[in-house]
Amino acid sequence: MLLLFASWLHRTPISVALQHQVSWLWPMCETLHFAGLALLLGVAGMFDLRLLGFMKSVPISVVKEFMPWALVGFTLNLLTGAIFIISEPAQYFGNPTWWLKVTFLVIAGLNAMIFETTYGRRAAAIPAGEATPTALKVIAGVSLVSWLGVLWAGRMLPFLGAGVGAGL
Amino acid sequence: MEEFLLRLQESDFGVWVSSAPTLLAYPTILMLHTVGLAMVVGPAAVLDLRLLGYGARMPVSALRGIFRVMWIGFAINASTGIALFISEADDKGMQWIFWVKMVAILFAVIVTTRTKKVVYGGDRNPEIVPPQAKSLAVASLALWFAAITAGRLMAYIK
Repeated sequence: MLLLFASWLHRTPISVALQHQVSWLWPMCETLHFAGLALLLGVAGMFDLRLLGFMKSVPISVVKEFMPWALVGFTLNLLTGAIFIISEPAQYFGNPTWWLKVTFLVIAGLNAMIFETTYGRRAAAIPAGEATPTALKVIAGVSLVSWLGVLWAGRMLPFLGAGVGAGL
Repeated sequence: MEEFLLRLQESDFGVWVSSAPTLLAYPTILMLHTVGLAMVVGPAAVLDLRLLGYGARMPVSALRGIFRVMWIGFAINASTGIALFISEADDKGMQWIFWVKMVAILFAVIVTTRTKKVVYGGDRNPEIVPPQAKSLAVASLALWFAAITAGRLMAYIK
């Protein structure tokens, strides 16, 4: 079923166009994927560390002002990731490690959503220097672990569960 | 030179890294190299963006701890990088793009230490960002991006 979808996607005009793109498109997207990863993890990681009690002198709301840059990194990776998947769908859909990566992504996303909808206001109201409630620390921990999980699974794609050892 | 590189590559350690049938060898070392990359370039980007004026409510003095994260990341990447290099010494050592990566990293580290001195050094007030720090921030972003690009291209340019 999935592989049927993969082979359909592989024959769509957009996929075919990407497959026949200039040879440097793929390496360029990989490079941007790594840069985006650094931006996302650097900014989101700093925010998580703040929730865990580092840099307490800075209000949480101030650290949060950097979050649009995490979103820039995430968007960059979503776009470049989509290019990989559309070009070579079977390589990803057929690899259980890729599904693990998606699972970690969903966990990270739900976690961020729970933060935004349930704790966002409360977190912003915490004065500088004060300890963060345990719930926020748990959210920060889940965020760090799930983003590292995304990175781990992503980097393991060619080695774990890949049918073909395509492009490291 | 080439003989030395070949001997490195064929050493027990080099062979273990490149071809031990375990995910703990090459795959995990490569993965840790990516974790280190995020720990170096991510915090560098945060500091550079702040020096360029983004998130201006964040006190520059509060970002001082960022250098410690970067050095831990750098240590991870120096050691995993050396291990990865040994495992393919004869290929990587002969690749010009590898040396481009090394030069980019060298300059990025120089720029980072300069930034630390210019912003936090002596009895300076970190909240007053000198114009020089902005140029250093741009250079840092460009050099780290160049290092990532060259690193990625090592898989393509032989």
